[in-house]
Amino acid sequence: MSFAQLDPLLHSQLRLAVMSLLIGVDSAEFVFIKEKTGATAGNLSVQLDKLSNAGYISVTKSFKGKKPLTTCSITKVGIKAFEDYVNNLKQYIE
Amino acid sequence: MSNKELSKDESLALITDMISQAKRNVAKGGSFYFLLWGWVVMFANLGHYLIAKFDWLDYPYIVWTLTIPAVIASIVYGAKKSKEKVKSHLDRLYSQIWLAVFIGVIIILFFMGNVNYNVNAIILTFAGIGTFISGRALRFQPLVAGGIALWISSIVAFNLHPIDQYLVGAVGILAGYLIPGYLLRKAEK
Repeated sequence: MSFAQLDPLLHSQLRLAVMSLLIGVDSAEFVFIKEKTGATAGNLSVQLDKLSNAGYISVTKSFKGKKPLTTCSITKVGIKAFEDYVNNLKQYIE
Repeated sequence: MSNKELSKDESLALITDMISQAKRNVAKGGSFYFLLWGWVVMFANLGHYLIAKFDWLDYPYIVWTLTIPAVIASIVYGAKKSKEKVKSHLDRLYSQIWLAVFIGVIIILFFMGNVNYNVNAIILTFAGIGTFISGRALRFQPLVAGGIALWISSIVAFNLHPIDQYLVGAVGILAGYLIPGYLLRKAEK
């Protein structure tokens, strides 16, 4: 068995952190994710785009007063991918 | 945090850490609503009962106008809470339960004539449903007990004259909203 089986999209520190945060909540704002992961805004944006393009998360852009507001939530596809990732991970541990 | 690849142990540690981070930020259950509505509804019930029983005013239901500022306070508080940076599943469930109860109560009030003004007993049943489910969702036993107390007071109320139902309503709200509400506030700290 090799690590190649693990979803490469999730097997990266920041993207996995984002997915782990989102799996437990209904939705979270960009600033919350940034604060919890300690990532830079630029890098986080890029990684969120990757997850969003894969259909793992949905990203909604709106405004809070005059400030732009980005809200993320995990999709059904994302939940499935996360579960598969964790299950695959378990095989290595067992 | 970077984009580096992880070892399997690092992966697991990261998942666990992030899940617990999100958990700690979950907004606290709404003791505010139980206390606000507990006091308002108990006071209105008692007021209605006393005014009607002793014939102080022609329109005892005037005391229920107290619920208007309570609705406004709930909306303002809710809007403030929705500004929090993260929304848990529980927050959403919680607000939907009480929205459903609120809509149910409005429907009943609208057709109160059709049920011979026995509205109090029915509203207590609805309040019991909301409180019971909230208690189960929050895993907070005093609220579950509060829901049951509201159902018991609803059974008692169904067997009484509509005016006496207001007195039972006040006691039911004390047991079902206020006492668990204060216990919840204590637990939230």
